[in-house]
Amino acid sequence: MRAFDVFTAKDSRHAVALLAEHAATSKVKVLAGGTDLLADLKFASASHAPDVVVDISRIEDLRSIAVTGDGLSIGALVTHTEIMRSPLIRDMFPAMVNAAHTIGAVQTRNLGTLGGNLVTAVPSVDSGPTLVALDALVTVLGPAGRRQMPLAEFFVGPRKTALKPDELLLEILIPTTSLGKPTCFLKFGLRKGQALALVNVAASFWVDRARNAFVAPRIALGAVAPKVVHASTAEAYLEGRAIAPEAMVEAGRLAVGDAKPISDFRASAEYRRDLVAVLTRRALEGAYELAKAKQSEK
Amino acid sequence: MQVSMTVNGRVRKADVEPRLLLVHFLREHLLLTGAHVGCDTSQCGACTVIVDGRSAKACTMFAVQADGSTITTVEGLAANGQLHPVQEGFWDQHGLQCGYCTPGMIMSAVNLLQDTPHPTDRQIREGISGNFCRCTGYQHIVNAVRQAAGRR
Repeated sequence: MRAFDVFTAKDSRHAVALLAEHAATSKVKVLAGGTDLLADLKFASASHAPDVVVDISRIEDLRSIAVTGDGLSIGALVTHTEIMRSPLIRDMFPAMVNAAHTIGAVQTRNLGTLGGNLVTAVPSVDSGPTLVALDALVTVLGPAGRRQMPLAEFFVGPRKTALKPDELLLEILIPTTSLGKPTCFLKFGLRKGQALALVNVAASFWVDRARNAFVAPRIALGAVAPKVVHASTAEAYLEGRAIAPEAMVEAGRLAVGDAKPISDFRASAEYRRDLVAVLTRRALEGAYELAKAKQSEK
Repeated sequence: MQVSMTVNGRVRKADVEPRLLLVHFLREHLLLTGAHVGCDTSQCGACTVIVDGRSAKACTMFAVQADGSTITTVEGLAANGQLHPVQEGFWDQHGLQCGYCTPGMIMSAVNLLQDTPHPTDRQIREGISGNFCRCTGYQHIVNAVRQAAGRR
């Protein structure tokens, strides 16, 4: 690994100041949990290796999980293990707990952060689909101040985000309109532990009790496009439609058309398309089971 | 960069390069060679140690990240000549053959039992899913952890 200088940020403003100071003249990387960064640095070619690393891991203001007036706010430095252990998240979004549980293994989840997982932005990012299905927003801080955007737009392509070199991801915000929305995340990998998703899917919708119909259905697909994508055709088909097994099957079929999978050494595009249909249907079924369970609690 | 951390109960200070991995700090500076370097890519878990109460792969952490931390390595488990129950379990149940994965396996098992004192076999298998063993086929390791949890 090539040598670099490390600067430790005291808080998020300091981190942005460090990024702004060094990004103009040097290749800069941000160190949070380090689980992706170190893997990259070990294999980085000289032209990609950073000269400067800004260590944000000690920033205290990016670690909270809290419901605010805007929704559920999760700090960028919250680890996957902390997500799995948060009573608030477990109660509101078991899908987030399930998604966190599929990331790496115990040791990786203990160090790895939600923000880091999203910023790395691999197409198979396991924390992506659930959050995209919940219309999550991200807040980033730059020298000019804060800005907010949908997570679906924060993802730009494989390992590419809308983050500028002098910007820092602060928080992930699940808006109040999505709080408690029944959501199901499913991942298909070749093993149970330490596997990348061949396909991962999240489905989320409210239920119109009077008509037993889909309201605001969202289906997000991972690992089958350059970034996490909405299955827009399937979503449009379900909106307002009566909830029935046939509708879920048809949504799965339509979601295949919204996916653009590639063939690689893990799976063929054809296999991934089959997985999209099956996992979408099952995720819709899972979300409906949750919706019914929540209803019976009331 | 100056770092200071408590390793197996002793405060250790050193001046290290930012790129120095924690596992190399432990092995080469502190001569604690229990944590092994296996794959060096965060897969195999042979380098697992416990940092501030949670297991971590020391090949995927810089020493500077551990500044101020409390670390336990496999060398820090036995106390007063008495093996840790997990070490006893590996001994009694033949939880190893070549031994390369053993320190990491043991640290993952310790981490598991600290969070889940009475794990099911499934929880044991999941607790060690970040650690590879190419000898045992895992069954004896599961038996060892089960014994340590007081379940035969």
